[in-house]
Formats: sequence, C-alpha cells, structure tokens
Amino acid sequence: MTAQERDEMAAEYVLGTLEARESDAARKLMARDAEFAQLVTDWEARLAPLLTLAAPEAPPPGLWARIEATLGDAQPARRVLRFSWRGFGLGASAVATGLAAFLVFRPPAAPPMMTVLLTSQDQSAFLVEAEHGQIRLAAVNPRGVEAGRVMQLWALPQGATAPTSLGLVPESGRLSVTPRGIRPAPGMLIEITLEPPGGSPTGRPTGPILFIGRLTAAGTS
Amino acid sequence: MSEAAQLLGRIAREDRAALQALYKLQSVRLFGVAMAILRDRDAAADAVHDGFVKIARRAAQYDPERGAAEAWLGSVIRHAALDIARRRGREIPTDDATLGDSPVEADQLETLAAGEDGARLRECLSRLADKNRQGIVLAFVHGLSHPQIAAKLDLPLGTVKAWIRRGLHSLKECLA
Repeated sequence: MTAQERDEMAAEYVLGTLEARESDAARKLMARDAEFAQLVTDWEARLAPLLTLAAPEAPPPGLWARIEATLGDAQPARRVLRFSWRGFGLGASAVATGLAAFLVFRPPAAPPMMTVLLTSQDQSAFLVEAEHGQIRLAAVNPRGVEAGRVMQLWALPQGATAPTSLGLVPESGRLSVTPRGIRPAPGMLIEITLEPPGGSPTGRPTGPILFIGRLTAAGTS
Repeated sequence: MSEAAQLLGRIAREDRAALQALYKLQSVRLFGVAMAILRDRDAAADAVHDGFVKIARRAAQYDPERGAAEAWLGSVIRHAALDIARRRGREIPTDDATLGDSPVEADQLETLAAGEDGARLRECLSRLADKNRQGIVLAFVHGLSHPQIAAKLDLPLGTVKAWIRRGLHSLKECLA
C-alpha cells in the first residue's frame, strides 16, 4: 500500500464505511503497525466533533448491571445479601420497629429522572438528572456566556406559578443541588436563564430562557 | 486532564468504581451516539454494553497525549455500534423518514461550533459540496454504508465512493 492508500484506509475505517472484512483487516494492521494506528488516531481526532450531532439519550435502566455482570463482578451483590441475612438474625422486633419507622417516614419514592435542556434551535446543551431529591446538571457542550452575565438554574413544579431558583451555573457547567421546598418529579420544568452578575435580583427569572427541558423518568425519553 | 481522562487512568488499574463513575458521566452521550447509528434502543444498549466491556479491558490503551478522552470513548462506542450494524447486514431501511434529516442541514452544523476543534471542522465541512458533506455526516453519525448513502442521496455508488474519498482528503488539507 502507498502512503496515501494507508491514510485513506485509516480515514474510511474511522468514517465507518469499510465492510466487515476490510474493517477487521484495518484493526489487525493497527495492532501491529504503530504508524498506521497513529493515522487512525489522527482521523478520530479530526472527525470527533461530529459526535456532538448525535442527540444524547438515557440508556435503559438495567444496562449498567448487565455490563457489570459481563465483567464478572457479582461480588457487591453477594456482600449485600449476606449482610441482610445477618440483620434478620439480630432480632425480629428490632427489625420490625425499624421497618415500621421506615414505612412511616419514608418520603414518597421517585424513580430516577432526567432531561436534556435544549436551546431554542433544539440543540442539546445540558443534561439534568434527578434522584433522591437531588438535581444534577452537567454541560453537554460547555459554552461561555456573554461578559457581565451569568446563567441561573430554575425549577418549575407542575402546577406552580413561579419557578424556584436552584442557583447559579458555574463556568464548568456542573452543579448538584438538593432544593428545599420542592421535590423533583416527572413533568417538572427545568430551565436556565441569562441573569445579571450574582443572579436575578427579584427571585424570579428576569432574562431570556437559554435552555429548557422537562423531567421524565429515566429511560422513557 | 478531563474528569473522563482521569477516570480512564483509574480504570486501567482495574478500579471498578471508576468505571461506574465513567458510565454515569458518559452513558447518556454515548447511548445517543449508538442510537444515531442503530436507531433501536435494544441494539444501542448492546453497543454500549460491548463498548464499556472494551473500555474496561483496554483503558490502558488510551493515551491522554494523543487526544481527548471523550473522543476516544466516542470512537469505541461508534465502532461497537458499527460492528452490530455490519452483523445485521446494515439492513436498516434508508427510506426511514427521520434518518439523518436534521444533522445534515447546514444550520444543524452550528452545534459543532462549540469548541475550537468543532468550529474548525465546521468551517472545513462548509467548504465541501452539499452531497459530499452529507455523505460524510451520514457515514460518521448514522453509520450508513456506501450503498446506503448512494440510495439516500440518489447518486451512483462509484460517485459516492469517490466523493467521500475526495471529501476526506479536502478535510484533512483544510484542517492541517
């Protein structure tokens, strides 16, 4: 193969247009030819920004457990099981008391929820996950904001008339918050608005909505 | 170094908690990458499963000097999804109305503007002929084969192959 043919093979391997046999041949070549492997790495880097064109989507809930099972890591599950049996042996009354307290004081269980905050052009900007009353925000495509302004995160429970501030979005685009007074639930609107430094002075959004999304049970969106 | 890159370093030392943390951090993005190619949640779950098993076993092959962890993870999942697509004979109907509609439109390439690399790639893609650019996006993002791209763009197979090769060559020169 000429140098150009090798580069074309690397490019089309990365692009995904090689058929199964050619693709296998490219992988074998990568394993024994560091120079060819570098050509492939260079092409992966060139085309990687195109990955952002795929819309983020929550995987099915059981997928992590399946990955763990394949990797042969059943240990944590066994430990938990042994522990709980010992718990039963400690005395039924203690367990019963604990269980009663658990049933009485347990907050209503909510399943893990998520949403993707979209721009007005339907481009994904932030991923929001909610579980156990906590809301986590992560930027999908971290981007800056115009100088002298900040991004503020809000939640609007279904039926509520005014959103509740969840805080300012740091430059990293990552934020975890357990709001008081409201509890994340499916259907809750999550939005980010553009506000003056320090956040909205009124306690209500004052600037334009940059990104918005609605919480749904993870895996159903 | 990004959080994902640090986690890959720990995964290479067989830290299972780090793998789970990486899954939490990246699985929504990566499942989306697999869905764009397979358009089937079960098949995309298989691809992410296969990909994460590879990530667990090959994390040591990731070299932070040679590129972003996110790009490396994306390529592992993409190739796992492409392998599944190839095993299925890439029988995914190309007349699917939702297939590749939006990402091929020029304004959707705006998404690429986030980050310096994305802006450069977008600029270089915009210099290509429309069908040339569409062919590259349909292959990379949606996993279409040459014959599927030819059917989708209503072009002869030989033309599609030549255009894609030429398009890749132009991209490389433009990005250099």
